[in-house]
Amino acid sequence: MMIRVSGALLRFTDYQRVISVDAPTVESALVKLAGDYQPLRKVLFDREGRVRATQRVFLNGEPLEPEQLASSAAGEADCVELLLAISGG
Amino acid sequence: MPRSLAYEMPVDSSFFTPLHLQPVAVCRLAFNGAGRWLDRHAISHRRLVAEHRTGFVFWSVQLVPGDPVGFFDADRLGVTVAGRVLGGGTQVACDVEVRGAAGRPTRVHAVCVPLGLDGGPALSGAPARLAPDVLSAFRADEIAARPHRSPLPGLLAAVAAGGSQVAQGHMPFVIHRHQCEVADQWFWPEAISLAGAGREELVLAQAAGTPALRLAMQVPMARLDVLFTRPFFLFDEGVVRSTAYEWGAGLAFVHELTAPGEQRPRALAIEQFAWD
Repeated sequence: MMIRVSGALLRFTDYQRVISVDAPTVESALVKLAGDYQPLRKVLFDREGRVRATQRVFLNGEPLEPEQLASSAAGEADCVELLLAISGG
Repeated sequence: MPRSLAYEMPVDSSFFTPLHLQPVAVCRLAFNGAGRWLDRHAISHRRLVAEHRTGFVFWSVQLVPGDPVGFFDADRLGVTVAGRVLGGGTQVACDVEVRGAAGRPTRVHAVCVPLGLDGGPALSGAPARLAPDVLSAFRADEIAARPHRSPLPGLLAAVAAGGSQVAQGHMPFVIHRHQCEVADQWFWPEAISLAGAGREELVLAQAAGTPALRLAMQVPMARLDVLFTRPFFLFDEGVVRSTAYEWGAGLAFVHELTAPGEQRPRALAIEQFAWD
């Protein structure tokens, strides 16, 4: 699947906006992505390994709740989008 | 009595247009002043973020220019800042006055929404009431139960209903890092900068057919209202859709800052200009 990254997350992926990841589910794709881009791990996941509530994940444009990530299968043609809704500086 | 902070700021030429103070410069002074007030009277901005996991996102801004101030008028501007908590901790407001040597000051009223930060390196967060440890840094007379309500929706409805549309245009933009704050999210005065750029492009493109538009380059702005709904981030693309109305005794420019594919603007700004 393709993972699209934008905005405040770009600096954690070396400014790559579209990254191809081979994984069976959205959650496993995010884990693999964070393995390939280590700085992204602390951004996406909390200390317990859960996707942070401040991250919004979309599969082909549809928002996914955190509990849906593990059960959401995704194939080669699918697109996952990561969005940071708001930051506080 | 709520605490305030007064100081002088040496001027540089970037604070000014040929007509008055730059609205963007005033907003940058206001943001810096709010940080000074927090540092002096409550908790520094850095400690709020780093130790209390509290950030802010600007939501509503009103700027009312005072009597014109020019670069050659004085070496320093006087700045007065006061901070308050509104809505029982769901909003933080700052009132800033910027004054020249004489005359009415330019006033900024800015309201932020506190964010509870998630502790991650992206400084991501979600709106949250101020925590008790932060709230305790404010005095009782600096905390109001009543929230601020933005005047912009009512103003927008009044302009659309009572104004006469005279011009419309759009200007695409991309957010780059020099327009952002530390979290790679746009620094809120950029909305004012982009709205002003949208207006100037509209005047340049259409003033030959609509000469009244030139007013917006000939006199200082009379009032500015901004409402933010969602920030733009680094490399986000957007467009400023500007609509000019003859309204009341002058012109009103409504600027919608929108991302591609989105219906709802991420920020709305209304600039007003008055005939003398």
